[in-house]
Amino acid sequence: MTLALQLVGIRKSFDGVLALDGASFESRAGEVHALLGENGAGKSSLMNVAAGLYAPDAGSILVNGVTASLSGPADARQHGIGMVHQHFKLVKPFTVAENILLANRRPHFSSGIKDIRAAIRKQADELKFDIDPDRQVDTLTLAEQQQVEIVKVLVGGANILILDEPTAVLTDTESEGLLEIVRRLALSGAAVVLVTHKLHEVKRCADTVTIMRGGKTVARLDPRLASADKLTELTVGQTVPLPPRTRHQGGPTRLNVGALTYARGDGRVMLNHTSFHVCAGEIYGIAGVSGNGQAELAEALIGAIEPASGEIWVDSAGDISCANNDRRREAAIAAIPADRYAYALAGGLSLADNFAIAHIRSGRYGGATLVNRSAMRREAVAAIKDYDVQGARSVNQKASLLSGGNAQKLVIAREFSREPNVVVAHSPSRGLDARACAAIHQRLIAARERGAAIVLISEDLDEVLGLSDRIGVMTRGVIVSEFERPADRQAIGRAMVDHA
Amino acid sequence: MHDLPRQAVSPPTVVSAPASRHFGRITLDVRQDLSQWKQAVFVGGSLILGLAVSVAILAVAGISPVTLGTELADVLNAESLRGVLVQAAPLILVGLGASLAFKIGFWNLGLEGQMILGGIFAAAISIYDIGPPSTRLLMMGSAAAVGGALWVLLVALLKIRFRVNEIIATLLLNYVAMYFLFHLLYGAWQDAKTAFPQSSPFRPFERLTDVGYGINSGLIIAVAGVLVAGWLVHLSRIGFYARFISANPRMAKIVGVPVQAMTVCIIAASGACAGLAGFVNVASQEGRLTQSFANGYVFSGVLIAFLSRNDPIVVAVVGFLIAMLFITGQTLQVFYQIPFTMVQLIEAIIVMAVASSEFFIRHRIRWIR
Repeated sequence: MTLALQLVGIRKSFDGVLALDGASFESRAGEVHALLGENGAGKSSLMNVAAGLYAPDAGSILVNGVTASLSGPADARQHGIGMVHQHFKLVKPFTVAENILLANRRPHFSSGIKDIRAAIRKQADELKFDIDPDRQVDTLTLAEQQQVEIVKVLVGGANILILDEPTAVLTDTESEGLLEIVRRLALSGAAVVLVTHKLHEVKRCADTVTIMRGGKTVARLDPRLASADKLTELTVGQTVPLPPRTRHQGGPTRLNVGALTYARGDGRVMLNHTSFHVCAGEIYGIAGVSGNGQAELAEALIGAIEPASGEIWVDSAGDISCANNDRRREAAIAAIPADRYAYALAGGLSLADNFAIAHIRSGRYGGATLVNRSAMRREAVAAIKDYDVQGARSVNQKASLLSGGNAQKLVIAREFSREPNVVVAHSPSRGLDARACAAIHQRLIAARERGAAIVLISEDLDEVLGLSDRIGVMTRGVIVSEFERPADRQAIGRAMVDHA
Repeated sequence: MHDLPRQAVSPPTVVSAPASRHFGRITLDVRQDLSQWKQAVFVGGSLILGLAVSVAILAVAGISPVTLGTELADVLNAESLRGVLVQAAPLILVGLGASLAFKIGFWNLGLEGQMILGGIFAAAISIYDIGPPSTRLLMMGSAAAVGGALWVLLVALLKIRFRVNEIIATLLLNYVAMYFLFHLLYGAWQDAKTAFPQSSPFRPFERLTDVGYGINSGLIIAVAGVLVAGWLVHLSRIGFYARFISANPRMAKIVGVPVQAMTVCIIAASGACAGLAGFVNVASQEGRLTQSFANGYVFSGVLIAFLSRNDPIVVAVVGFLIAMLFITGQTLQVFYQIPFTMVQLIEAIIVMAVASSEFFIRHRIRWIR
């Protein structure tokens, strides 16, 4: 059988930085081919080359054995290559049919939209999707939007389908559904490329896996024949074990959240008398299906929103639920928000600035009249080294140029540089690769050893189970039940679903 | 997730032009960073291009480049230079006002209204004869700063409290200020002697006069403003905070920046600068409150802030150059019957040229074979 898609010796650099260094890839019709690698390994870059978004500096692209020169996404579509991006490319106020028409142009709008509606129904039936072509996109869930993206490329006639980190935005159940769809697409004869950094997805659903590291392809093998350890080793280079942990001693209460309530602008109640407490030297995990108030809880704790009622009591500062910046600072809360670029970093400013901002008020970098820039830079350099923030050419570089994991390390370097009393971490390893994830977890455990009270809010049950001393399950804005370590996974799972 | 964060780590996006297979193709890369020096070259290059277009337009309008050259050279002789420096003072102040507000992403387009309020407050001190003569100028200046600040704080309050768009609010308040000025000048404050719609002239000790070497005391106020704003932006803690407020206000709040207080302070400073510009204009050039002393300044202020990239020190230089353009424009108007709107046209062309240089600073165009 000929290869549906073949990429040979692809090189691509961005402003002097080599992102792809002679990477190769091949995928056959009728198989699911996983592209595995850490963040920044070059997976997305390579697939963007295949989708015609990036023009490679060197190397060739073959579609069905014939050399193709792709001058843009439209050209790639002509060759039957369709890509579903991690960040969906949908116009939110448009309907599903309008979005799909936009990507697959027809000469006339009114006849075109009819044509598209029929095509959507046909594709949706085949894949057992429940998509209403006349729904507006912003009323759809993320999983539904993803289905629209898939239908969009299929309506365009794609038989080579690239899915970039498709499960990153989905819940566990939704991910299950998606992986099934992926299998079904391959069965129907398409060549499916699944870009991912999750091992279990590769094991579960791929026929072949290509592993990338540092812009190069390092291996291609059958995932069913390789052990998980072997795959990890190939992706990471070396395996990173979690440090052993001492049992929780049970210190005094550090943080007490009492009957916290909050309603969103549209009136939906997100926190409904949420209560829990965390002791010194304890990691309190909050598990739950996403959208049950976890995000609002995190935002209230770090001061991004003001709760309607209830208290957030911290032993060093008292109730800070509506406190100003000064009181909050006294409470020494380290904030590790889920959306780093919205809540924790100013991407347009330098690493040094982003590091120093937390301390500027304490006078560590000079008084109000004169800011001591060299002291800032010196400490930022030290912290970046200490926390192993990679990819920083200098501390004057913009923070937005860091990859996800390194950006997260920078956030943690800053937040932990002032001995936190309470740590609020929301999905701290979201989007991070195995190594960065382990580094973040180590830091959380170290803070716990030092006696900080840690609230770990995560939709990743493995993360919560692995780290927490106590676990609270949150549904509909309330902690419905609590579990001591070692917690029973099944019982937590039931609690998450039962009350939902 | 589909909702990209404002400052996402954007992997360099590439837009590809249609391919011409035999000749390779043009691609656009997003630049990761570019040295200050090279950025200056791009901006400088665009500026020269914009000036060249302006010269061409003037040539079509009947001013040959040679004439233009002589006139421009003429502006720098002692007598005209004095005029340029007098004109530069309010321009620099209004430019500072714009750049301070833009620094934190507050689009203050009400600089004219704030100038007018500044002028009115200063004139009120003169008209109601408040305070001893020795401190009169100081009082007028302070009153002007307060007037300008109050006028913009009205909008700051609307924005923070009710999320009113400041662009529309500041812009429309210009008209309110203007008609209030007319109300005074056609009514209570009308000059009884001439019956013109302007106030009676200020007393000699209420005027900003020359301090020697052809330098007006208004310019000293402007330079002091530049130094204070430069310190504020580059050296002080407030300036450090301000960068975070404009880059990511939500994040700034969480890491402990007093966002609201800082925003209000900087907006007030912006209005105060514009108010001072009004004071300088009425107390040096006009010598009384007139109907049109603030006309056209909002555009010039925005232009100066834009060209100087909101850097107060550069504002001084750009303000001076725009003052030169103003004075040359006046000469051309008088001697060559070129409408003064030509000066605004040239300003607009320069803005567009410099704005387009931004594209080349952010992108690199490459030829791939």
